[in-house]
Amino acid sequence: MGGLLSHPGGFGVSMGRVMADDAFEAVVGAHHAEIRRYLLRITARASDADDLSQETFLRAFRAYRALPDGANVRAWLFAIATNLGRNHFRAQSRRRKAYAAAALELPLRSAGANPDGVAVADEARARVEQVIGGLPQKQRLAFIMRKMHELEYAEIGTSLRCSEESARAHVFQALRKIRRGLDGHLAVTTEPRS
Amino acid sequence: MSRQPTSCREIEPHLLAVAAGEADAAATERVERHVAACVPCRQELGHYRSVEGVVRSLRSVPVAGDDPTLARAQLSASLADLRSRLLSFGIFPSPLGPMLIARSEQGVALVQYLPASGSLGAGVRRLLGEEAVEDRHATEGLWAELREYLEGRRTRLDWTLDFRRMRSDFQRRVLEATASVPYGGVTSYAGIAARLGMPSAVRPVAQALRWNPLPIVIPCHRIIGSTGALTGYAGRRVELKQRLLAVEGVRAVAAHDDFRVRREAMYTLMNGEHEYCVPTCGSLSSRPLSVLTLFGTRERAEAAGFEPCTTCRPDLHPLPA
Repeated sequence: MGGLLSHPGGFGVSMGRVMADDAFEAVVGAHHAEIRRYLLRITARASDADDLSQETFLRAFRAYRALPDGANVRAWLFAIATNLGRNHFRAQSRRRKAYAAAALELPLRSAGANPDGVAVADEARARVEQVIGGLPQKQRLAFIMRKMHELEYAEIGTSLRCSEESARAHVFQALRKIRRGLDGHLAVTTEPRS
Repeated sequence: MSRQPTSCREIEPHLLAVAAGEADAAATERVERHVAACVPCRQELGHYRSVEGVVRSLRSVPVAGDDPTLARAQLSASLADLRSRLLSFGIFPSPLGPMLIARSEQGVALVQYLPASGSLGAGVRRLLGEEAVEDRHATEGLWAELREYLEGRRTRLDWTLDFRRMRSDFQRRVLEATASVPYGGVTSYAGIAARLGMPSAVRPVAQALRWNPLPIVIPCHRIIGSTGALTGYAGRRVELKQRLLAVEGVRAVAAHDDFRVRREAMYTLMNGEHEYCVPTCGSLSSRPLSVLTLFGTRERAEAAGFEPCTTCRPDLHPLPA
């Protein structure tokens, strides 16, 4: 570009005009680890979580400038990730296998009691993971978004393209199945913890 | 099938909500009243609270493979690559018809004339590539400056340019040489070939300018035929060339289905000199256009940094307006 730059009537470089993408850098910084963890939970494969999280953020970057001010970026990223995750399952036609793999691969157990100080038998946790792994797709995704990532039902509904009520129903249905799966393994808690 | 009483079946979803801590005050009170009197439901509430406890404990269990470091590094590299390829474009109603302006992270990449309908033809789509998003906001500042330019209120577009859509290094060199032709001046295709040190490459120069991805910004409208005929612009839209030149003070008169610049009515600069002349100064009138730059007005020649010739004194004996 030397010819242009050297000419007095030419075209100067003005660095201030370069697009500012710092805002998106901040989005990546704030949400990448969680979105990848979510994808890891639903695919149970680190390589899939890597690929899908990358694709999630590349798609988000393309669409970011069109996102209205004040939009819920985190919920929006979950929706993109969920959509990609579902396409992934569909494309691979291996939903059942993936779920089975999820049940086997998901946990990496921490020793001892959980942070609540409530001793929970590893067996109960393993059973819960098994049940989660065998849930129908929407129930499983809704359950993971709600219980592992604490999304609002309305946000889950957006991700799964269903109503807030349906999202809640998916989560409750998952809880019922988990409760049945744990029959005989539960120490009954009669008082609320909080 | 369960033979639960109706009241128990109705309270069941509320048990789940209370166990999850999601129930509102009214539902909580209803559940409390019910379980105080119903042992099976009280137990069921206890079970759901236990389920919530197990699930909560799962949330804090590390997930195998949960190290995003490598993925984050890969994402950064991919984003940098995407950013550099991504074009944002806007379409604007100019006095010359709808125009598209596209920019990348590196600079302005495309300026294109669109048909009156404003639709994007296959050629423009190909230039835009797959990573293009319509984003008026990203380009309207550029449009504001371009409009000022087209209205004659601005003589420079100090834009950072993205040259990656050049077809070849040769084209890039042609466009750089073209960019050095000052505002309000014209020279010939042969003149550009001569500047590149390739005097026989007149046709390749014309071809390179034909595919100029940044017309106006790279002022290919200032390059005309050796005879003074404008010869062509933006396909068959030579009238746009005439209008752009008119904005810069270069008059071209209609001639057959083209326009022609009248050398005898133009201030003339011998390329490489610092003084501009009237066209009859010395042997200028017998020189080919390829070694000259013509200006429509003295103001333009002087704004480009040239001084009046001390022999023919165009400042004292200006051409008739």
